[in-house]
Amino acid sequence: MSDFIQLHILTHYAPANLNRDDTGRPKTALMGGALRLRVSSQSLKRAWRTSDLFQAAVGEHLGTRTRLLGKDVHDAMLAQGLDAQKALEWARQIAAAFGSLEVEKPESKKKKADGEGAQEPDLKKLLQIKEIVHVSPAERQAALQLAASCVQRGKGPEAAELNLLSKDATAVDVSMFGRMLASANEFNVDAAVQVAHAFTVHRAEVEDDYFSAVDDLGTDTGAGHIGDRGYGAGLFYLYVCVNRTLLQENLQGDKALANRAMASLLEAIAKVSPTGMQNSYASRAYAAYVLAEKGAQQPRSLSQAFLRPVQGSDDRSMLTEAIESLQKQRANFDKTYGACSDASLGMDTDAGTGSLQALIDFIQD
Amino acid sequence: MAYLVFQLQGAMASWGEAAVGEYRGTHDLPTVSALAGLLCAALGLRRDQEEEIQAVHRHYLMAVGVYACGPMLRDYHTAQVASRSQLKGMRHATRKDELAFRRTELNTILSTRDHVQGVRYRVAVQADDEAPYPLDALRQALLTPAFVPYLGRKSCPLEAPMAPCLMDVDDVLAALSEYPHAADGSTRRPFKLTWCDGMTPGVESSLTVRQRDRLIHRGAWQYGERTQHVAMLPQEA
Repeated sequence: MSDFIQLHILTHYAPANLNRDDTGRPKTALMGGALRLRVSSQSLKRAWRTSDLFQAAVGEHLGTRTRLLGKDVHDAMLAQGLDAQKALEWARQIAAAFGSLEVEKPESKKKKADGEGAQEPDLKKLLQIKEIVHVSPAERQAALQLAASCVQRGKGPEAAELNLLSKDATAVDVSMFGRMLASANEFNVDAAVQVAHAFTVHRAEVEDDYFSAVDDLGTDTGAGHIGDRGYGAGLFYLYVCVNRTLLQENLQGDKALANRAMASLLEAIAKVSPTGMQNSYASRAYAAYVLAEKGAQQPRSLSQAFLRPVQGSDDRSMLTEAIESLQKQRANFDKTYGACSDASLGMDTDAGTGSLQALIDFIQD
Repeated sequence: MAYLVFQLQGAMASWGEAAVGEYRGTHDLPTVSALAGLLCAALGLRRDQEEEIQAVHRHYLMAVGVYACGPMLRDYHTAQVASRSQLKGMRHATRKDELAFRRTELNTILSTRDHVQGVRYRVAVQADDEAPYPLDALRQALLTPAFVPYLGRKSCPLEAPMAPCLMDVDDVLAALSEYPHAADGSTRRPFKLTWCDGMTPGVESSLTVRQRDRLIHRGAWQYGERTQHVAMLPQEA
């Protein structure tokens, strides 16, 4: 049994080509016998996790960005009474688990130093990691712990111990969206966030935009280039389900970080659009409606609300009708199968009720 | 005979075939291994719990009735990655970090993924004498699962509760037909029924096939062959 947070989102995109198929046209799907525009889950996830918003929100919780972890480990071992040569060697091994080192072989440096007498080797350089790396508080602690146990037993770190360092370093977005590495399955993480493909709630065709471009330097009349491009507009329904229990577990039980991750995920979902062809269409859109549900019950999408395509009319917008269908489907599921969640909260820009902040507070544990 | 019966409904589903690579096809109904996987996920078994997973695969028999299975959807999928040599020696905390190279230095991986659209299935599960969990424990797990259940691919959520029920009836067809949660307008009889060797179907088999979805070793992704019976059923007038 796990705690699930289910999110139902309606977002309207003006004419755009957000997510293309192999021929460059917007993706589609059939639902209830009617053609719909579709944005794949992969496309949505990529937009969220590479957004500045997401990076800014979870970035600071990823720990320190440093090149000098090795120096810390080295100093700690010296303080525990280890001799300088071993401390240098082991600290380099531990630091190398986080990234390759600035100076490849300390021996060559030593040889050079021999000729000129006993010159102090540049410790900082020997222990420095080439790139700035993210080191989480847990990783830093693990590195120092490993250093302490090395000093205690008088023996350097084993290969397996060094592997563990990077396994603990599960990043926030990997905890959410998972990772599959065929070659090293010990690093696999099961995604805590499930994202469905987004569909338009109404019948929608891919339309053709025929365009021509004039060659400014051409002497002949007529176009220098002609082409056509598919595009489409529509109100999309998106379903996202977060396994809160798994997310927190993926983050080594860090509840505060899990909350932080949930907040930034919700904000990204509400504000970040797939980036496909933005320069031509500028279809940036914010969510028009969000419904959040909490509970341990089996999660289910509400896409059946749109099996019959929404049509809209002169006095009622597509959005108004879509929200109504969604709420009706939810109520009917509860009536037929029993309550499908314990609590829910909405944000509705059509009615002007609720707020993103209230939703963020609602989904926090 | 006691059965656990539940429904699976979704806008999109993908039931993997043996080949995994650039092209990822789908069957029109869930494989036995997919259903066992669904039960394992609901129970909270992890991918490395080899023995427990094998027990679920071995000690339950599955039958699937297909009530709707729409046209196929082919999804063209691309993913960007930096080359292995670029990533070497660097730590990447987020996907944004991983892609922080010049565009021309990133490679694109292509794959083609098939889905079936607008699916409606009912599943009947039968336990043997050594089954590790009674059917009612499976029912509880489906009601409040540990891991989110999905239709073969994580991006394919369920669009209705599975509504698992325990039923005591003569055969598989009766179990599916008398399932109390039939959606509006859906027929009692599936148009296609498949079942494992050892089940009492209640209909004649139209076809018996060998299918490679019997789990041998989860960790090593090894699957063996299994006998699958199929019946095509005429619809009631």
